[in-house]
Amino acid sequence: MITLIPKRVFKFPIEGKNISPDVFAKKSAKQIAALEIWEGNRKVSIGDLFDIKVDSSSSEEATIKIEGNVGTVRNIGAGMSMGQVIVDGDVGMHLGEEMKGGSIIVSGNAGSWAGSQMKDGTIEIKGNAGDYIGAAYRGSTKGMNGGKIIIHGNAGHEVGCFMRKGVIKILGDVGIFAGIHMNNGTIFVQGASQGRAGAQMTNGKIVLAGHSEDVMPTFTIEDIKAKVKVDGEKIEGPFYRFTGDLADNGKGKLYVSKTKNPYLNSYEKYL
Amino acid sequence: MDDNNKIIEARNACAMGAAKFLNYSTHRTKTPLIRKNGELVEATIDEAIEKVAQILVDAHYPILYGWSNTSCEAQRVGVELAEEVGGVLDNTSTVCHGPSILGVQSVGLSSATLGQMRHRADLIIYWASNPWDAHPRHPERYTMFSDGRFEKSSWTNYLSKLRGEMSKKKIQRASNLVLKKDFCFAPCQEEGLPYSMYTKKRRTIVVDVRKTRTADAADCFLQVEPGKDYELLQALRVLVNDGELDVDEVAGIPVETLEDLTDVMVGCKLGILFFGLGLTMSKGKHRNIDAAISLTRDLNNRTKFLIMPMRGHYNVTGADIVSTWQTGYPFAVDLSNGYPRYNPGETSAVDILCRDEADATLVIASDPVAHFPRAASKNIAKHPLIAIDPEVTPTTMLADVILPPAFAGIEAEGTAYRMDHVPLPLKKVVEPPEGFLSDKEILQRILQKVRELKRDMN
Amino acid sequence: MTELIIKNGLVYDPLNRINGEKMDICIRDGKIVEAVKDKANVVDASGMVVMPGGIDIHSHIAGGEVDSARLLRPEDHVKDVEVKTALTRSGVGYSLPSTFTTGYRYSKMGYTTVMNPSMAPLQARHTHEELSDTPMIDKATYPLLGDWWFSLEHIRDGLIKENAAHIAWMLKATRGYAIKLVNPGGLEAWGFGRNVHSIDDPVPNFGITPREIIRGLCKVNTLLNLPHTIHLHTNNLGQPGNYVTALESMKCVEDLAREDRPVMHITHIQFCAFKGENWGNLSSGAEEISNYINNHSHVTLDMGQVVFSDTTTLTADGPFQYGLYHLTGNKWVNHDVETETSGGIVPFTYKRSSAVHATQWSIALEIALLIKDPWKILMTTDHPNGGPFTSYPKIMAWLISKGAREKVLSKINKRARKKSLLPSIDRELSLYELAVVTRAGQAKALGLKQKGHLGVGADADIAVYNINPERTDPAKKFVAARKAFNRAAYTIKSGQIVVKDGEIVKPIFGKTYWVDVKTSMPQDVNDDIKKKFREYWTVEYENYPIREGFLHAPAPVTVKAEV
Repeated sequence: MITLIPKRVFKFPIEGKNISPDVFAKKSAKQIAALEIWEGNRKVSIGDLFDIKVDSSSSEEATIKIEGNVGTVRNIGAGMSMGQVIVDGDVGMHLGEEMKGGSIIVSGNAGSWAGSQMKDGTIEIKGNAGDYIGAAYRGSTKGMNGGKIIIHGNAGHEVGCFMRKGVIKILGDVGIFAGIHMNNGTIFVQGASQGRAGAQMTNGKIVLAGHSEDVMPTFTIEDIKAKVKVDGEKIEGPFYRFTGDLADNGKGKLYVSKTKNPYLNSYEKYL
Repeated sequence: MDDNNKIIEARNACAMGAAKFLNYSTHRTKTPLIRKNGELVEATIDEAIEKVAQILVDAHYPILYGWSNTSCEAQRVGVELAEEVGGVLDNTSTVCHGPSILGVQSVGLSSATLGQMRHRADLIIYWASNPWDAHPRHPERYTMFSDGRFEKSSWTNYLSKLRGEMSKKKIQRASNLVLKKDFCFAPCQEEGLPYSMYTKKRRTIVVDVRKTRTADAADCFLQVEPGKDYELLQALRVLVNDGELDVDEVAGIPVETLEDLTDVMVGCKLGILFFGLGLTMSKGKHRNIDAAISLTRDLNNRTKFLIMPMRGHYNVTGADIVSTWQTGYPFAVDLSNGYPRYNPGETSAVDILCRDEADATLVIASDPVAHFPRAASKNIAKHPLIAIDPEVTPTTMLADVILPPAFAGIEAEGTAYRMDHVPLPLKKVVEPPEGFLSDKEILQRILQKVRELKRDMN
Repeated sequence: MTELIIKNGLVYDPLNRINGEKMDICIRDGKIVEAVKDKANVVDASGMVVMPGGIDIHSHIAGGEVDSARLLRPEDHVKDVEVKTALTRSGVGYSLPSTFTTGYRYSKMGYTTVMNPSMAPLQARHTHEELSDTPMIDKATYPLLGDWWFSLEHIRDGLIKENAAHIAWMLKATRGYAIKLVNPGGLEAWGFGRNVHSIDDPVPNFGITPREIIRGLCKVNTLLNLPHTIHLHTNNLGQPGNYVTALESMKCVEDLAREDRPVMHITHIQFCAFKGENWGNLSSGAEEISNYINNHSHVTLDMGQVVFSDTTTLTADGPFQYGLYHLTGNKWVNHDVETETSGGIVPFTYKRSSAVHATQWSIALEIALLIKDPWKILMTTDHPNGGPFTSYPKIMAWLISKGAREKVLSKINKRARKKSLLPSIDRELSLYELAVVTRAGQAKALGLKQKGHLGVGADADIAVYNINPERTDPAKKFVAARKAFNRAAYTIKSGQIVVKDGEIVKPIFGKTYWVDVKTSMPQDVNDDIKKKFREYWTVEYENYPIREGFLHAPAPVTVKAEV
């Protein structure tokens, strides 16, 4: 296990893509300390910013533990394919971006773009997360393509933007546009949604088990479902099931809790 | 101009243009200023440049912001300076049409230069935009009241409409006085769209949350519930593609009216949708634009349809274009790691300032302290602030160094880009006062000084 | 006086018929000279190939459309970055590199002159601003004139001489180098969302056909004595069966040929050489096209080679680009320019597994190898439409090595492989012929007399590649050849060493060429255009032409017209 403890509060954005099990694998503390990291526009080394402890029980796959707040450190675990990252505190933007395997667990909050363009592996955030979880990069239509993201707290806007595969579970609330431009995959929201879920989606499944501000007028009601399967688990409904987004010839499925959204019973006349 | 080299008249200019030319010199800052012990003190240009260069070289994460009211020549030096000091280059798009750019990056844009609308458009839609106040020459030069090769001005229609309304008012007043009773014509909000929408002439529709003066001049006004433009645009897309909606009304407008509107849009020869900050800054932001662009793209399956953002600052388009050709990205460009990185929300000035991550700001040709959210402005003031601005503004009042330049487009020449990407020359009309350099020259001097200081440090 | 001597290299200079001779090249003050003094700087080119600097007759690197494409595609740039160094500016690639990166990357491959082939005249300033921020290379640009209202009206009314005078005005106003036509007539039709479908299909609202436009502008080109011919992107680009349109376009100016000189250049011929009725039965029209070219000398072509990668299509062919949006569902930008032209941008990925894309890959190579005279078929990818220009070394390897082609053939879609003519073509271009298609032939077609060769008086634009044909057969060791072409051992530009071992050692800026046509009555044209200006355009007459001093390093080529 490699432990990193921030030496001080970082005021400037820290570009930390070298903090990754793939990069740290088989390196000594000295070698890790020499790895490049950016503090604003100054190129420094990891050792300048963190105290590093490497315990001798090294396995093939590195486990990195960060003790302390690294809310300004970005790209931790980016592109990783193995091992584990444990953050005991808050973590910055782009956590696990494009990761291909391994797992990340955060005890505090995560910034925006966590799990962006992820291909496999798991990310679990005990606190809240920002916007664009599991999303695609600007201009790209290729969002998350596998893996699992679990957020125990709330998430922001555009969760799962351009998602193609995989599962995102938000146990708290989400902002607007959950699943926007979704092409496939599953998004589950236990708390409230601020609305416009599934906008411009072409396929995939979104389950809103809490109150939703609205349902897009470009979704059409199919039926009422007693339960729905999410990631192998059965979630109890009942749910109004909609298909959409019609404006994009979408065949996505939007499940909205019937009990938490009584205003939607006006749709029942179409059934 | 008169004999004292003072501009006394600006012909062909709208009210805003005339004001710019006639009054530019009235309140200008006369010399460079440096803040010493809390007070702004006069300084020489060399002293000011030295101080600016030092601030930038010391900074770990400076922002170089503004750019929209100066020439492309200055903007080009700006990119080089931001790269040299490892800072973030951002322009006013970030608080204005940045969302439009994000929309374009998501879905594209079906557009043209303004002459295409003048020549060919028989259906004009102003959505969340009020050119009567913000772009007064727009309807006259390019849309409603312009004459093109294939379409004529709808000025006579507008006059008939005005006359009709005045007659109605006269009759109403007469009836109230003589017959002592209220004589009301049927409410103007008839069911469906006004008859004029179905003629073959140039027609204008305004879609907005309130009735603006442009709406008064237009053939048809549709009032949309605030914050519901996105739903309306998506619903129209379904109708344009011959689909059906489960609901009776969207954004406060009955679906039947929307179906009529769809028929008009699909039946035109060439339609153009202009949109303003009402769309970029209301709920949904760049997704509103995404939906609007998607709507016009879908309409191209049935007829020719174009869309264009109504840009405000006179050379914000230039700022985006210059940044794009030199760095690949239009705004919010982070050069701190030695190469361009782009991620609005992360690398955009307002967000960086709200998180208090920047330790110095250089502002040129714009006034962020007046326009940014309070949290951002507060944080700008906490760190060294450099302002390159000819006038006194809320930003310059907080600055640590002020460098007043010659006015671009009046005292300095250059190039600027119109909202439709047409590059135009900015002319030098009067000589700047003694000692006043152009933005470009000021930036070049700062860049030179920055390089000297960096060499000395190594 | 800066003197340089490149010693002992194996020189390939087709314009002077030098074929792999070991000789020295002497340079003084940016030009090639007979001899230099002893204290000249020495470049030791022993065991290396020396060629004139590379020339690209058609590559979209600057201007409104290119920049809109850059803006459209941040995702294209994010994976391919250039870090700032002490000598070079930072930037991004990949299919739409930023301007500094464009110049550096061309130079690293030994290229020294690039022609930007599409410029909307109304936005000419934009193209020139970007070109002046493109380092290392000399450049020029072609204004789009095939749908210009003045052209359409004059040609319809038979006023060829008037049109010639107006085009001379336009070349100066926009600092342009050649007359560019894209889908002639189709772009005006696209103003209302329509298109033309053959060269005899009349243009709506104007009553003129593409055939008449092509012939009219061909005559204008001759009257103006322009250094290059008309540069044509044919109608029906990218449509199955369109090889017929390409042939008709070539035939329609046969009678306007002069002596044996070309009067037309058709660009990116690959996109115009499709046989078949639909995408399902698409096949190659390379044989028909090559046969025609082998029997005629009035047309030159460039390849428009496809490379299997993600790239961006951008052309002035608005309707074609709209069609691509429908085919791919990708994001789509359209930009029509009043009175003049149109344009469109759609990201595109060419896949080995696609029968259509694999056939396209094969077509351009077939044409290049079936046409016997290399001076008639030049190497391009129509960057970025067929692929990024950084893939040129790969294409050079395919041209000189059958083995290199077979390696790719073995991995492409089976149906396309079966239909491809490449397995039956053994021809491998020699280094001499390669120098023709990438330099000498390009300069000749462009009429750039001091470029593309290493004779005395030529501009000292030279590429030295670390490959020794006396020891290694580049056809067999094509990987080594490709690497050599990818990182020039030396690039010399205007007599200065600017690249060494594939790295920039001296950043410089080149010149912008444009054609200054001297006509007999320029004032009359000025007055005519001024009168119609407000009617046609939404800018003021005085703001339209580029003025003295705007170009940072102009290099006008003066010609005297016959009007």
